[in-house]
Amino acid sequence: MPPLRLNAVAFVSPQNHPILIRSFAQGQDELKYHYIAHTSLDVIDERISAAVASKSTECYMNLLYTMEDVAVYGYITPLKVKIIIALALTDSVVRDADVLTIFRALHTAYRHAVANPFLRLNAPIDGYNDHATVLQAGNGKWQTFRKRVDDIGKAVGVVGVTA
Amino acid sequence: MSAQRVTVTYSGPIIFLSTDHWKQIYASLASQLPLRNLHWKSTSRNALRSIQELDVDLVALETLREDQAASQVPQTVLDKPLLNLYIFICEDSEAYRTQTRKQLKEWHASVSQRKNQEWLIVHVVRPDQSVAQGRLFQMKASVLDKVKADFNVDRKDRCVQLVWSADKDNPTVWADLVTKVKEGILSAFDAALTQREEEVKRSEGQRQMPGWNFCTFFILKESVANSLEGMNLYEDALQQYYELEATFFQVLREKNLSWFGALITPMATDDSAPLLSITKKPYRDLILANTISVFDFRVYLLARQCILLSKIGDMEELCRKASSFLSTFARTLREIEDTLPPFFIESWIYSSALSVVDQADEWAGSLQLDKAALASFNAAKGELVELARWQLDILGIATGFLPRKPPFSLALPSSLGEAAKVPDAKRASVSITNTELLAALEDQDALYDLYVNITNRAIELYASAGRRKFALKLHGTLAALDVHRGRMENALSTYTSLPAHYSPHGWTSLEAFMLNRALNIHEAAEKPKDREWIHVLLHFLRAYVEDMGRQLLMSEEDSAAYVQGLATQLKEAAQELDSETPFPDHPAFSLTLMEHNAKLAESRDGSLLKVVVQNKLPCEVSIDEVQLQLAGRENSRITFTSKASSLVPGPNELTLFCPSSPPGTYSLFSTQIATSRLLFQWKHTKTPKQVRAGNMPTLVHIPRDPKALDVKLKQPPRIELGTSRKVMVVLSAGRNEIATAAVKLGAPSGIAFSYDETEVVGEDAPPIRTDAEQVTFLDVKKGQTVVAAIPHSDASAYHYMKVNITVEYVTTSEPDIRRVLRLSRVVATSLPVAINVEDFFRGTRLFTAFTLSTTSHQHVRVRETQLLSQSESNGVKITRCMASKPSVVTITPSQPGRFLFQVDSVKGQARDGLKLQISYRMLREEVESLIEHAVYEVVVETPALEFLRQDMIDKLVQALETDASWVELYGVTGELVVPGVLTDDDELGAGLRRVLALLNTKRSPLSFGEWREILIPVDVPQMHITAAARLQILENPFSAGTEKSQKRTRPLYAGQPLSALLTVQTSFHWAPPEDVKVESYLMRYDIEDLSNDWLVSGRKRGDFVATDGATFTAPVTLIALHHGEVALPKVAVTALPIPGEHRMRSSVVPGCETHQVHGAEKVLVLPRGGRSTFFVSMGTNNNA
Repeated sequence: MPPLRLNAVAFVSPQNHPILIRSFAQGQDELKYHYIAHTSLDVIDERISAAVASKSTECYMNLLYTMEDVAVYGYITPLKVKIIIALALTDSVVRDADVLTIFRALHTAYRHAVANPFLRLNAPIDGYNDHATVLQAGNGKWQTFRKRVDDIGKAVGVVGVTA
Repeated sequence: MSAQRVTVTYSGPIIFLSTDHWKQIYASLASQLPLRNLHWKSTSRNALRSIQELDVDLVALETLREDQAASQVPQTVLDKPLLNLYIFICEDSEAYRTQTRKQLKEWHASVSQRKNQEWLIVHVVRPDQSVAQGRLFQMKASVLDKVKADFNVDRKDRCVQLVWSADKDNPTVWADLVTKVKEGILSAFDAALTQREEEVKRSEGQRQMPGWNFCTFFILKESVANSLEGMNLYEDALQQYYELEATFFQVLREKNLSWFGALITPMATDDSAPLLSITKKPYRDLILANTISVFDFRVYLLARQCILLSKIGDMEELCRKASSFLSTFARTLREIEDTLPPFFIESWIYSSALSVVDQADEWAGSLQLDKAALASFNAAKGELVELARWQLDILGIATGFLPRKPPFSLALPSSLGEAAKVPDAKRASVSITNTELLAALEDQDALYDLYVNITNRAIELYASAGRRKFALKLHGTLAALDVHRGRMENALSTYTSLPAHYSPHGWTSLEAFMLNRALNIHEAAEKPKDREWIHVLLHFLRAYVEDMGRQLLMSEEDSAAYVQGLATQLKEAAQELDSETPFPDHPAFSLTLMEHNAKLAESRDGSLLKVVVQNKLPCEVSIDEVQLQLAGRENSRITFTSKASSLVPGPNELTLFCPSSPPGTYSLFSTQIATSRLLFQWKHTKTPKQVRAGNMPTLVHIPRDPKALDVKLKQPPRIELGTSRKVMVVLSAGRNEIATAAVKLGAPSGIAFSYDETEVVGEDAPPIRTDAEQVTFLDVKKGQTVVAAIPHSDASAYHYMKVNITVEYVTTSEPDIRRVLRLSRVVATSLPVAINVEDFFRGTRLFTAFTLSTTSHQHVRVRETQLLSQSESNGVKITRCMASKPSVVTITPSQPGRFLFQVDSVKGQARDGLKLQISYRMLREEVESLIEHAVYEVVVETPALEFLRQDMIDKLVQALETDASWVELYGVTGELVVPGVLTDDDELGAGLRRVLALLNTKRSPLSFGEWREILIPVDVPQMHITAAARLQILENPFSAGTEKSQKRTRPLYAGQPLSALLTVQTSFHWAPPEDVKVESYLMRYDIEDLSNDWLVSGRKRGDFVATDGATFTAPVTLIALHHGEVALPKVAVTALPIPGEHRMRSSVVPGCETHQVHGAEKVLVLPRGGRSTFFVSMGTNNNA
């Protein structure tokens, strides 16, 4: 089984603000992944309303859609941060368990990053409890987070998630 | 492959089957079909499956050819009948035994041997017959019982009676039979299917064995699926296909593809054939022949799945499956792209995607989809159409009709290298067959039209699915196409409208991209750089400075240079603006205070504030001015400005200057950076909600500038009640040489100031100019203090008057700067003392007592009161009672002061009003001036302390404020002992000690400070009649009224009648001048009835005529009722109405005041004579 290839990762706040968009594919236009992240929100919203209707509390949102050469998967954390990944499309079955592993890793990376108490240092006081403002405030200083995400991206390519 | 249906056979006695009766039964039976609500409890599946409806073929047993040449290819389990019926009529058991039984046996023998088939015997009886039977006493078993006994070998009852006749055809009679039929079908199906599944399982288990063939397995497994489909169990059927797909992938992974032909053997129409048709190729045969290509196999598998999905009604999943298949399998095809005709893959995806959409629409036509399902169906279709659109992108780029850059190049698969897809000669022999695409490959416009059509179709589908963001993306690509086609107007309008959709959620990267495009187009179209352009540019810069905005601008080689260019253009465009254009909250710049305390400019009026302007753009930006507004109390605003030419990237330190800054605490209100006519503005006010959340406004303190121009308001030192009120305006020039200073006063309470009547007080007064609005002082010298009194309208309704002062002044040193100073001052309008007057008339004299009490809690020091008459000559003579004490009287809230004056006047003269002059000051003022005085003395001694002067005063005043213990001592002695002043060993401490020593010495309050004055007009009171009543006890009834001095000789006893004389002396001295002519008034006296003390005998009450200076007398007799010191009864004297004179319909009573001459007299009344016994001890008898 060919290893999964992670083309891009996007973290989107509960208010649909982008938190971080990273693409790993070489020589590709970033715009594409920004578009993917943005359009995925529509699909995620559909899934969320479906999940609400069925009272599901599943984080993993499965395949959102495929686009030419990428398959886009979604994940929503319990605090409604959306994680979107674009996997290089392969003509083989992608097991949900593998994708979920990637998502869990990304989620963990995100949690570690957000747990940084100094993030709130520059956040305006009135938005102290508002997740999004904290994220905005931390924006641009996400170096560690970015590095973690990059590491995950690399790891996915190398390990290829056991067959 | 057409769907297989369940077959049920029937059989019966040949004679019976040929009757009309049978035909009727058959028709009726057929009308019961299809069967409804079957519930299949399978042994291999744990859940109960329900079949809503099941079509059944009812055929005669004979028509089925029993022993067909058994095909090796497994068919569905429904190929063979599942249930065999034997239907007969037999009315009596004898006939049954002789004929029918035999026939039944034959049939049963043939049927029951068959594998996986059920049988059922149906005994038809007429309704009347069964009734007849019921009536008989049944000795014998009925036919049915016999049948049962003969054929029911196991526990299962396979015999059923049908009570039926043509005229009584109703569904209930069928219920029993139908139930049995259902049972039979399900049981047979279950058995057959279980067996088949066993086979599949066995086959699957042998997968690793040599000789196992996937195709064979596939056919076997598919037969299970087909069987399930035939039973209308689509989900289960679909599951079979999913399992097949999984197995296929497993096989694929094991690289065990020997059963397949090539990956693909492209047929001429492969690329344009409808994807979901399973009849376009003989797929099953190909599979059986082991020659099917993977391509065909996958297509077949997908088509079968989709058909089942369409039967289930899951259109969304159908489309999704198709699109996912198209994308994934295309990747596999890419690997062998060289062997395929040019653009085969693109054409295949394009045609397939669109054909799936069409097919799905066709299938969905019969379905009733609810709103949510319809939306997701549309979304899935949209994805398919978009997928087709991507192919157009690829084709367009390959043919060169579209540029190889985003957003078109987004569709290019990542594996596709830079190498252009030039169709080489070798492959060109075979070409794609989709006519649309062929046309598009030839003709640029055809491609564009197709592109637009397909995109619009996708947009429509997305829009109806509620996928706004997808639609936006496609709009973006349409705009890009417009750009490429040179339709700048269209593109520009799209690109300028799109960012608004991306910005609200902070998708600045996409927003910046769109804006960047818009700017570029603007440039390319050479449109004028108008206001709109500026807005686009500003939005772009905003997106640019925000973190992610930069990410997508890879196309700009040197973004800094690019932005620099934009900034320069911005400046130019801003100059062209016809009006000032504010732009709020642009993030490219931010302005923060470096310090929260402003500094005084020292050399001139005004203060300086240091700020940092952060420029987040990577280039220098030229600006004109930086402005900062602070908000003070009552919406007062002061503005700090600084001219600046440019802002370098990063922090810029600037010092802003405000020429007129009243001291106080301000909050940061707004900031503004101006470049030409473009104004970047930021508001910094906080809403109450933010403040509550702890987000406090930024405060700025502006210190007091003692040398700056200042305006104070004072009460005038002399207040004369009854004349127009004035307020003193004290303008101190401070360090300034003032050319003009226009003072404007405004009172919110509506008090009007009459500037025209302004008087300048003091010497060396500068010239003033007045108009209705303001008073302007001209040429005020440095350090000069000008005092002007401005009259104002009545403000007695208020204790304090709040006045907003606006001073606009221009100094001679800086004639260009027009400083505006806004101040808010409060000046007291009420008097600190309240005055009460009491008048006492005694004949020709009048005693007037003034009671002064403070109106506040403050102590008032009164130096002197004087009652002044206008002139000595008007006949009023005022004498001060009590030699006035030299010291000052202190009025406290608990202790008012009384001042008494005696007034003598000449009768009958018009009397001018008097004036009470009070010279006073508040204790606080006095003490403050005392301290100032003392400090001044110290400073004169040691001039080095000059700069500490204010400090010392403040410190002492503060100490006095904290403790009131000094007040009493000061009031008595004039020594001021300031409590609780801690002195250090420095200069200040030394100075303070010296001042304290000075204050500690006795000092007359008259020797320092200023005194205020109030002049209060007082009228001379008037009274028609002043009467003096007297009750005099006479020595004997005959003695006439005696003089007071005569000593009474006889003692008075209780119960003894006493002669008394009542005298009333009347005077008209204080009568009002207009009534001087009146000679007499009618009056009445009334002796008070003190029934406890006195019995009054005689004329207790009487009327008399009073004339000026006359005395009326009346004798009375008094009897004292008890002994003791008793006051005489009072005499009330009242004037009676003047007869015949009426005013306002009521009689006129002249004013009259009476005083009791004997009011203080008491008489000693002795007890009446009698005996009293006293015991007096005469000593003690010792012997007794």
